[in-house]
Amino acid sequence: MTELEKKIKAKIPGADTGIEVKHSLCAICSPGIHCGVDCYVKDGKIIRVEGTPDHPLNHGKLCTKGSSLRNYVYREDRIKTPLKRVGERGEGKFEPISWDEAYAIIAEKLNAVKQAYSPHSVAFFSGYCKWYRPILHRFAHVFGSVNFGTDDSTCFASMNIANKVTAGCGGAPDMGHANTFLGWNYEGYYSNHLSVAGVQKLKERGGKVIIIDIRDTPASKNLADIFLKIRPGTDGALALGMAKLIIDNGWADMDYVEKYTYGFEQYKALVEQYPLDKVCEITGLDADQVFEATKLYATNGPACTNFSASALVHHINGFNSHRAILCLSALTGNFDRVGGNYPIPPSYVHKAAGFRSREEEFRSNRYPGGQERIGAERFPLWNAQNDEFQAMDLLRQMEEEKPYPVKAIFGFGMNAKMFPETDKLLAVMKEKLDFFVDVDLFMSMTAKYADIVLPACSSLERSELKPYEGGFMTFTKPAIQPLYDSRSDVEILCDLARLMQLDDELLLKGHEACVDWMIDGCGLTVADLKASDKPIKIPNATWPVQPGKLLENGFKTPSGKFEFYSLAIASIDPKYGLDPLPSYRDPLEDQNDPETKEQYPFYLCTGARLPHAIHSRTHETPWLRSLRPDPTCEVHATDANRLGLHNGDTVEMSSPYGKIRMKVKITTKSQPGVLMALHGYTEANVNELIGRNHLDPYSGYPGFKGMRCNIRKIQEG
Amino acid sequence: MKHIFVFDQDKCSACSACMMGCMDQNDIDLAAGDQCYRQTFDNEIPLADGSTYCAYISAACMHCTDAPCITACPVGCLSKDPETGFTVYDNTNCIGCKSCAMACPFGAPRYRASDGKMVKCDGCNERVKHGLQPACVCACSFGALTCVTEDEYKASGSSKGCNFLLEQLALKKK
Repeated sequence: MTELEKKIKAKIPGADTGIEVKHSLCAICSPGIHCGVDCYVKDGKIIRVEGTPDHPLNHGKLCTKGSSLRNYVYREDRIKTPLKRVGERGEGKFEPISWDEAYAIIAEKLNAVKQAYSPHSVAFFSGYCKWYRPILHRFAHVFGSVNFGTDDSTCFASMNIANKVTAGCGGAPDMGHANTFLGWNYEGYYSNHLSVAGVQKLKERGGKVIIIDIRDTPASKNLADIFLKIRPGTDGALALGMAKLIIDNGWADMDYVEKYTYGFEQYKALVEQYPLDKVCEITGLDADQVFEATKLYATNGPACTNFSASALVHHINGFNSHRAILCLSALTGNFDRVGGNYPIPPSYVHKAAGFRSREEEFRSNRYPGGQERIGAERFPLWNAQNDEFQAMDLLRQMEEEKPYPVKAIFGFGMNAKMFPETDKLLAVMKEKLDFFVDVDLFMSMTAKYADIVLPACSSLERSELKPYEGGFMTFTKPAIQPLYDSRSDVEILCDLARLMQLDDELLLKGHEACVDWMIDGCGLTVADLKASDKPIKIPNATWPVQPGKLLENGFKTPSGKFEFYSLAIASIDPKYGLDPLPSYRDPLEDQNDPETKEQYPFYLCTGARLPHAIHSRTHETPWLRSLRPDPTCEVHATDANRLGLHNGDTVEMSSPYGKIRMKVKITTKSQPGVLMALHGYTEANVNELIGRNHLDPYSGYPGFKGMRCNIRKIQEG
Repeated sequence: MKHIFVFDQDKCSACSACMMGCMDQNDIDLAAGDQCYRQTFDNEIPLADGSTYCAYISAACMHCTDAPCITACPVGCLSKDPETGFTVYDNTNCIGCKSCAMACPFGAPRYRASDGKMVKCDGCNERVKHGLQPACVCACSFGALTCVTEDEYKASGSSKGCNFLLEQLALKKK
């Protein structure tokens, strides 16, 4: 082998090897992250992906999923051309058609539903990712529909609304200045790899770490000074119990409470009901450990808290559990203070960069009104606090056609596996919809039900606006041309806006014009951003964002204070039974009748993160799938012994709503009586076991992480 | 300058990003039966006191100073790179006898069914020679896996080499 051949084999970039490094971002996971990547490109093909070393967010680091980005992008099941359904819905029989033909059909069918019913009968829905959402949101409104919905119906928004109705906004942990980190549901290694360094640094300078989780994790092993292995779904009770301890022991910051909070007396009366022995009975925790953790948190301040966007709120009591934890931050005087938690407002699509864009105006200033959004009647708090429809009511509304029918869905990465009782949703879509178009990278289970399927390209094949921490922003360039006949989601929307002659100058002008309008005032234009291949400093950004503004100017709540007693919740019709205080109820309250208890004795907790998976997005990526080839049910060793189960056995998991099969993995990381399973597998979709009405009434969120279940061994022949 | 892989089990989570980096660099074709050169382990080890020790480990070729695979190979495929100290190979003459794999205490050499030849981690020798990190190290977000020069290793006074780690774990076993 010549020296040059060796270099080519080793993929060393350079003029001699013909390998060029192109910068882009990985969009597999949440937009709150999206690491910068270096794509090694040879002959128009990516041959290797690394983290961009001098990127302001990830500094060269990538997680398990990001490190497999090449394998993800070149997956075999990428949709290659626009497709028109020729078989039954769900059968997966399509024929390729041209983009022009697909666009013409979409325009005609959407307009037909608009004419026959109303524009609101067309629901616009987005799964992952999120970069195009402002454009899609505006598109829906300009089309005339109030119904724009997303995966926020089950992710992040519950926490966000809970923050809003309590403190007016959320607060990010100030890891750099805290003495104690309350890592509630914190497991950074698998879900937010970039967060671990902050905890490591806190420990290195003598800070203390409390981890509260339902299972042993790398965080509980590598980072925790105190680890509370809590019974799933009981976090709210623990938080109330901790509040009582804090008040009783004189650890509360009463100056802060008196000056900046509202409803303390009612809150105090609530937490009085949670003495330590009762809390330990509910949570399964040791009283001394709870006491020590609470003391550390309350007396070794400043203390910041990890708030969980999607784990905690996936219980039917999750909204209030989050509020109860948030209240601890105010009770100890840590909210909006250095070393505690303070707001770092997002600049664009969930990402903070120290400036305010016009994203919200772009999304909402063409809101058509004239009808209530899907879910408005059933989830009034959601509807009052979030400008999207609550998709957990979509199935009911399609079925009952009340208060009006939903007859078309324009989906982008729509994933029915996100919905409890997935098969039921798909069956109703099949029966009730006049038209369903889905845009996706991959031929998903849901896309098979579409009448028209359009191929989207990945983040590496297009451009997008992305701000980053530190006051940076980029407008990415394609590292490679779109694969096959795929297009960017925004290109699709703007093409359709033109064809459908939508009355909106911005959408007609296209992607860059829309972005320029939204970032106007930050000191950069798309043209400026395009002059660089990497994120650049935003001239008018203020970074770092400083705490204390709420304490100085007042909280954005009805009382202007941090509300232990939420006036926004109090304003909701009492018939819904929503408590303005963060009260606790059992996570299985709707399933505790003796018969159900006996038949389904296990507590099913789905979706606890593993490093190789995020929802269903990576299950079909071969390198990642190889890490855990089979859909797996994690059974505690105690239960496995009792039931005679061994690793690799097939079990049937059942609930009152469905049955699936998974392979057994025996573990002691979980707890006896608890089953853990990843979601998103087509062949073993655990959300079939979750009841469609097993929902948190405050947010509409399903109890994905708390459901009654049973298992039995299956002899496979 | 001789290079050394250092593994710090207190920072590892067996997230397997290192494996992804390795597969990306080495074009591992799983469908053809290839195996990644690096492997992670997420083991629950029962301890004598009834508790469980969660061991998170990443392992590949240890690039032993006195590598038994080199002497085991009857056709001289394996050698030490004098510059990096990595155990490298040229499998042109490989007869697929698997002697190297059997001689290796860590099972690092892999037999590749598709062409009947041995392959293994070469420490990303060529990358390191060009000033880049090995792919697995590059992929590790937590500082659990690093690759340092011999001088750096000595200067750090590290006691966390992988061999030491394995001894330590064995002591804790039931």
